[in-house]
Amino acid sequence: MQLFFKVKQQPEPVVPNLGRITLSLLEGDPSTPFTIKQINDLPENIKRRVYRNLIPPVLLARFDIDPITWLGTNKEQRVFLSADSSSEKVFISARTSTSEDDEFFALELADNMLNGIELNLLLLNDPASSRYTIDKDEEGNPTMFGTVRRNLKAEAQAKEAGLAPGQIRNSLSASKLVLDQIDTFLATIGQRAYFLEPLTYASAWVFEKRGFAYVRGHKLMTTIHEEFQPGGALHKALDDSSPFRQQSQWDHVRGRAWAIHDGILDVLETNWDKLRMVKQVGKFANVNSFPNAIY
Amino acid sequence: MAETQRQITLPAELEALPLFREHIKNACQDKAGLDAQSIYDVLLAVDEICTNIITHGYAGMDPGSIILNVEVSAQALIVTISDFGHAFEPVEPPTPNANASLEEREAGGLGLFFVFSSVDEINYESSPVGNTTRLIKNL
Repeated sequence: MQLFFKVKQQPEPVVPNLGRITLSLLEGDPSTPFTIKQINDLPENIKRRVYRNLIPPVLLARFDIDPITWLGTNKEQRVFLSADSSSEKVFISARTSTSEDDEFFALELADNMLNGIELNLLLLNDPASSRYTIDKDEEGNPTMFGTVRRNLKAEAQAKEAGLAPGQIRNSLSASKLVLDQIDTFLATIGQRAYFLEPLTYASAWVFEKRGFAYVRGHKLMTTIHEEFQPGGALHKALDDSSPFRQQSQWDHVRGRAWAIHDGILDVLETNWDKLRMVKQVGKFANVNSFPNAIY
Repeated sequence: MAETQRQITLPAELEALPLFREHIKNACQDKAGLDAQSIYDVLLAVDEICTNIITHGYAGMDPGSIILNVEVSAQALIVTISDFGHAFEPVEPPTPNANASLEEREAGGLGLFFVFSSVDEINYESSPVGNTTRLIKNL
């Protein structure tokens, strides 16, 4: 019989609520996806074995951290896991010392309303590079990476040093390694995709290069590209009125990202909060909203 | 096994339709056994499915992506269209009244009738991690 399509009113969950992971559930259909909450409800040592797969061993080895014990050469804890029982989130971070300032990796995954997976946070910092306090304002209040308040002086210095908005240090240049690892982890637990909301234009561009597509905002990204071309509304709005709106910023990813972070999308009567991206495990979407881009 | 497989990802907007058509034509170039009518039938079906995604699937959203993959083999031309908009659900089609005047016809429906007539197989899967429509034209 031929079929006709109409828009579905109620989305279905990715994973039905199956309760705790039991031996019989493990022995059942291996394609049944597990949620973060189900894994968090496992006993501590099993949970740790599972979440070990979230960090590429080669990344830990780069900083002399044992990928199994998570200890540094001086036997101090270097990797920290937060995955409380009954929580729907897992947070894992790694540092080169006991100081939070030396964190080089941080990752948070969470279940969403449909039991799919959200990548809430991914930080990859080179701990040997200079640190810019864009994460705190001049009174020491957290800026949430410049999203709720800004430290303009630190941001101007970070921009001058070649960082993108939201970055406190140079990147580790390990996003492919880490995102491939997330694909592997999600395949292990039976999840077929994960979602994120890119913090900045620069991060959206990086995620495009890593195989993500857009649930929302693909059209916005192509509009941004068009309007930054000479004669476009965003190009005209680069009027040298601030360090973040210099005329030279139109033709590279970081320059555009700083201008957008500074609110330049007002001229298009829109803002940077509508984007949502998706990565299908094992697939590469091949999006290219900024052809021949210079980072 | 596919002899040629090509993928393109574009924003879900009507301006993307000619680019999807061009992409399919390019993928079909110089393939033995591919007659112009078969390619035309597939282009018609792809146009209708993509228009449906653009106007209904992403309705009320800042449009996301449509991923279009073309596979050409000696046996079939297969186009797989993925999107992340609202899911559709299959229901029985209304039978279009070809004799009715334009004013009397219900909006929509006829386009999908063309889709079902122009390809040999349509498979549709929806899930919260994306929707996939697979069109198969046997050669």
